Amino acid sequence: MNFDFIEDQYLLRDSVRAFLADHWDTKKLRAAGGRFSADLWQGLTGLGLQTLLVPEQHDGSGLGLVDSVLAFEEFGRALVPGPVRDTILISEVIARFGTPAQCAALLPAIAAGTARVAFAHAEPGAGHRTEPTGVTATSDGSAWRLHGRKILVPAADAATVLAISARLPDGRAALFLCDLPAQGVTLTRNIAVDADSMPCRVDLNAAPAAVLGVDALSRLLETSAIAAAAEMIGIAGAALDLAVAYAKQRTQFDRPIGSFQAIKHRCADMLVALEAARPSAYYAAWAATEDAPDQPLAVSVAKAAAGDACRFVCNECLQIHGGVGFTWEFDVHLYMKRGKFLEYSFGDATWHRERVAALVLPARAA
Amino acid sequence: MDFRYSPEEEGFRSAIRDWLHANLPPGWGTTFREPEDEAARFAFRLDWEHKLHAAGWSGVAWPREHGGRGATLVEQAILQEELARANAPESVNIIGRNLTAPTLMEHGTAAQKQRFLPKILSSEEIWCQGFSEPNSGSDLASARCRATIDGDHFLINGQKIWTSFAQYAHWCFVLARTNPTAPKHHGLSFILVDMRSPGITIRPLVQITGDTEFSEVFFDDVRVPRENLVGGLDRGWRIAMTTLTYERGPEEALPRQVRFRRDLDAILERAAATRSDGSRVADDAAIRQKLAASYIDLELMRLGGLRSFSRVIKGETIGPEASLNKLYWSHMYQRMTEVAMEVEGSSGALLPGDADAPLDGALPYKFLQSRAMTIYSGSSEIQRNIIAERVLGLPR
Repeated sequence: MNFDFIEDQYLLRDSVRAFLADHWDTKKLRAAGGRFSADLWQGLTGLGLQTLLVPEQHDGSGLGLVDSVLAFEEFGRALVPGPVRDTILISEVIARFGTPAQCAALLPAIAAGTARVAFAHAEPGAGHRTEPTGVTATSDGSAWRLHGRKILVPAADAATVLAISARLPDGRAALFLCDLPAQGVTLTRNIAVDADSMPCRVDLNAAPAAVLGVDALSRLLETSAIAAAAEMIGIAGAALDLAVAYAKQRTQFDRPIGSFQAIKHRCADMLVALEAARPSAYYAAWAATEDAPDQPLAVSVAKAAAGDACRFVCNECLQIHGGVGFTWEFDVHLYMKRGKFLEYSFGDATWHRERVAALVLPARAA
Repeated sequence: MDFRYSPEEEGFRSAIRDWLHANLPPGWGTTFREPEDEAARFAFRLDWEHKLHAAGWSGVAWPREHGGRGATLVEQAILQEELARANAPESVNIIGRNLTAPTLMEHGTAAQKQRFLPKILSSEEIWCQGFSEPNSGSDLASARCRATIDGDHFLINGQKIWTSFAQYAHWCFVLARTNPTAPKHHGLSFILVDMRSPGITIRPLVQITGDTEFSEVFFDDVRVPRENLVGGLDRGWRIAMTTLTYERGPEEALPRQVRFRRDLDAILERAAATRSDGSRVADDAAIRQKLAASYIDLELMRLGGLRSFSRVIKGETIGPEASLNKLYWSHMYQRMTEVAMEVEGSSGALLPGDADAPLDGALPYKFLQSRAMTIYSGSSEIQRNIIAERVLGLPR
């Protein structure tokens, strides 16, 4: 029984944190203005992050989600934008479900940092459903074509490949891969809460695609929810640090506001929410790595808990800052907005609680 | 990261499971009922403590020099988990075993260890805790109960309150003021008091559940030998703080989580069995959200407990972070018992003993009991101060 990471896993986290502290602070994020940063991408490639989930036979590190989850947390803490997370996660489903030709074509390129993959999943007017309905796949017997619209695809316009969820003619949902640029694919930036995540609208008009499968989509939705949970833990950690630092330094009534119990107790509740949610993200990563039987439950627990915690901590962080927290100049909103974006990605807390209920309540009597 | 137990640990688990199966009263968990009368119930539970000790399950993780088996912390946790899973009788020796004993092991003299530890291990002597006073609750360091030196004795005068098991206890550890002129944290001493001493009056207090589990204790010129002082004159605050960390530790969170899980399972089953306006309560979208929230809350408690526990196994100390666990579980369990009552609707108001009470009113009773959780062993407000000041470093 050991619910802790091993030395190497902490070393990876430390190296990612150190790199991001030097190369991706909020000044750089603001300067990038929602544009793709080749420097950031190359730096992360230098750390080997894109190799994490690529099998060794395809020039990767052959590691698992447990080894990667602390890196995702750091991505959240430093507000790293797409397409790094999606590229890492999609490399795993290609390795698991791709044909040998797909693996050979994509995995070494991902590991080398030359392929960038974005996951196109959300659809307009689709609520929190995780099953796509608005994008359909048709086949003429030899090739697949996709039709419809995706929204809020992080960094689609910086990607070389799109992974797209779409409905098969038999009604099931599956994952497809589409090389960019492609005829029939139009990319436009969404005007959205978190512009720094580079959200794109993707219009598919008979776009050519290769199928990766139904199970590939299920897997990617689970691992994306885990990564989003870990990122939200990182965001909440950064927002709490920001709030506590401000509460120590801001003086009113001749005292630091952090000496007032109204603020102290708020900060304590923020830490409790964050630290309660944290292990659920780690456990979900372990369950997904081991394909444990309780994996769907573990994922939903983590996504719901991290979403609720992140929202709570970010909202309170803004409140503790008072008026300046509402200004563009202070960083509070950057964390709040990324948190908001992730909170509603891959099923929000309400959606995941319903899934938990369905999994743990005794089934309806026949 | 690995959530499996070793073959030796699984063997230990089977051993305690088998023993429980063979030694719990027939019909335990189904038809068997503990005595309703409180004194008879105490006697029943004390008898159970003696059985545990006779079979070698008491204080398994204590060092061998103190009569323990030197079991690992993991084995200790497995034992507690299995006791909780079997819903074994509640421990009446919990204050002695979990608070007095580790405090004495850390701060007691050789003579104190030799005198007290064996009888704690065997549950021959039951302990109670003399910390809170009517005017010293959250502000514990303001305690006014006096201990004055009279030759080779202390003379204790004052009052303690919320003293669980006082009417059954043989001994009490008392936080008493030995130096009224020193700053309040520096004038207290930690003194072991024989509850059979002349001058002690115990007045049971009726709780909101109707039980009288705790009491007021009055000390009127109670003579206590000076050798019963633990850790030096006027050094009691530090000792008391050690005691409190044992009260909030992760070893305690894991089995507690197992007990909570039994309650949640019962709530989920009741939601599936209860009908409201023609459909199952378990199919109501709003109730489903609350049930799932309780499930998630409890899973977070389990995972948080495992994580803290992993740190303890590695020899790290938990310190003020223990307040995070206590603050979390006390509030989450209160929410869970509220959901339990909501699932039942009107019948949720029926208490144990009423013929129509679902599950004999167990869950509404626990709702009432749980109101104490955010107050005892440091109120939520005190826990938040500890977290803010000692974990986050906010100014006092």
